[in-house]
Amino acid sequence: MSAPLTLEIQDLRLSFKSWSGTTEVLHGIDLSVASGERVALVGESGSGKSVTSRIVLGTMQDVRSARVSGRINFDGRDLSSMTVAERRALRGRDISMIFQDPTSALNPVFRIGALFHEVLQRRDRRITKAEARRRAVKLLQEVSIEDADRVLDSYSFQLSGGMNQRVMIAMALINEPRLLLADEPGTALDVTVQAQSLELMRNMVDRLGTSVLFISHNLGVVREFADRIYVIYRGNIVERGPTASIFDSPKHPYTKALLSAIPRLTGGGVPEIEEHSPAFSDPLVTHNMTHDNMTHGSGR
Amino acid sequence: MTIFRRLLLRLGTSLIVLIGVSMLIFSIARVIPGDPARIALGPRATIEQVEQMREALHLNEPLVVQYGLFMRDLAKGDLGISLYSKRPVMTDLAEYLPATLELVLLAGLMMVVFGLPLGALSARYRGRWPDHLIRVFSLLTVSAPAFVWAVALVLVFAYFLPLFPITGRIADTLDIPRLTGFMLIDTLAAGRLDGFVSALHHLILPAFALALSGIGQASRLTRGNMIVTYEQPSIEMAQAYGFSEARIARRYAFKPSLIPSLTIIGLDFAALLGNAFLVEIIFAWPGLSRYGVGVILQKDLNAIVGTVLIISATFLIANIIVDFLVSVINPRIRLSEGGK
Repeated sequence: MSAPLTLEIQDLRLSFKSWSGTTEVLHGIDLSVASGERVALVGESGSGKSVTSRIVLGTMQDVRSARVSGRINFDGRDLSSMTVAERRALRGRDISMIFQDPTSALNPVFRIGALFHEVLQRRDRRITKAEARRRAVKLLQEVSIEDADRVLDSYSFQLSGGMNQRVMIAMALINEPRLLLADEPGTALDVTVQAQSLELMRNMVDRLGTSVLFISHNLGVVREFADRIYVIYRGNIVERGPTASIFDSPKHPYTKALLSAIPRLTGGGVPEIEEHSPAFSDPLVTHNMTHDNMTHGSGR
Repeated sequence: MTIFRRLLLRLGTSLIVLIGVSMLIFSIARVIPGDPARIALGPRATIEQVEQMREALHLNEPLVVQYGLFMRDLAKGDLGISLYSKRPVMTDLAEYLPATLELVLLAGLMMVVFGLPLGALSARYRGRWPDHLIRVFSLLTVSAPAFVWAVALVLVFAYFLPLFPITGRIADTLDIPRLTGFMLIDTLAAGRLDGFVSALHHLILPAFALALSGIGQASRLTRGNMIVTYEQPSIEMAQAYGFSEARIARRYAFKPSLIPSLTIIGLDFAALLGNAFLVEIIFAWPGLSRYGVGVILQKDLNAIVGTVLIISATFLIANIIVDFLVSVINPRIRLSEGGK
């Protein structure tokens, strides 16, 4: 990894203070994302993956009961020594985020166009409505939204979940951030739409050279997307490595358990598909039908 | 176009409600025991005199016929003669309604102007001292009725600290020609700025007493709604985009929270008309609520029906206005109703 690091986390600890004492939920996490790299952080709910993303985003530090320690370097700047205002200045410009449920994340009382305008104002305070609209249309077309004008004039509740997801991808990338945090993107959508929107997101971060930290509980989703994977379990990174090696030879028992938790198309009510059938070229199916996956399945 | 049609529809349904209310109050006023003619004429009147008055008031006709006669007169804008003041009920209403409306409108304004920001402040500084302070204040104001606050305010701000006048609508020395009955408007129309200031000075304390529990209610509601809104993913998204806390509070959290708050404030506002009674008594305010209670005790049939109808109409109009405001803020309502 010779590329400069966009994000480097060392010995990150997070604890919450409460009346009954202090509870540590992250026990010293090391993680890095190189420039232009796509890294996934995978774990079950409660494992600490979402709080990690909130720490990188800088919002967790503002929670009064939270204690964050460790080194977090973003683009060579030490995030932990920054003031609240300095951290906020990074957000929406150098770091942005995509959320799990696009429809509820987009504020229901503003039109999409107005939201785009506000997001663009984070980069350029004086941007006009017309200019903001022009740029939003351009980016929406890039995420395969043909009737961008109609979408910009709509409220989030008038659009489909998949449409909102694409809107959110475009919104997160319109200011060309250095780092994109994707917290379970599209988990609230059905798998087909989720796969489509991830494909669009991948194309776009490729073009812009954006580094991505992808948070997910689903190894299957991550396989298509990530260069490297970290597996987090109970606040510890239990396994790390390039995507292929994690899938080919998982070391940690938890990773193995996660791999076997991926829904398979084999067995059950779904008919068997030949291992070398042309259906394997379909990206939606491949990651569920791989060799090691099947051996795991049969090994259970 | 659609807004105009919806308005017409609402006005139409409101009219139906009013007719229903008129039937109800018309029957109730006549069914409760006691002979209005006897009460009006006093114990010394002869039976013949009472009978004569009953005849004049059509009290010997069947209820349905009485109601028909009442509606016929109402269509001509005539609510009959008050047995109590011996004047047309319309004249009485025209005299007392503006005083109460002035009081209630200012109180409603205070509910919005103080209640909403207090609630928003409370939610934004949740768990810190501004929040605790506002919550104690809100709970205190909600837990005591308006007349308690009226007495307390008179004691503190008119008696111990003579900052405000205790009674009346305007200084006695001022003589303002009556135009609309709204003192604030009449003084301005007469070009009397000193009169306007005096009228406002007289208005503030009773309006505040009337509004106080509404302010607390509005503040508590707004706080609750805003806290729920703050948990929404859309707020986290706004934070993720680095918008300032003030901007998030103002635009992203406050606006969606306004929707349920406004609806309740509309209902509270209408309830002010009823609560105004004791406040009007304490401040010797010549308003409709006081008049209404007076005529009920006198079993003044025509005046009872007239007062109740006016209060119902005000209630309905307030609700239409609030619904309209809510639909302006809430695109879901606006679009779903406009689309059908």
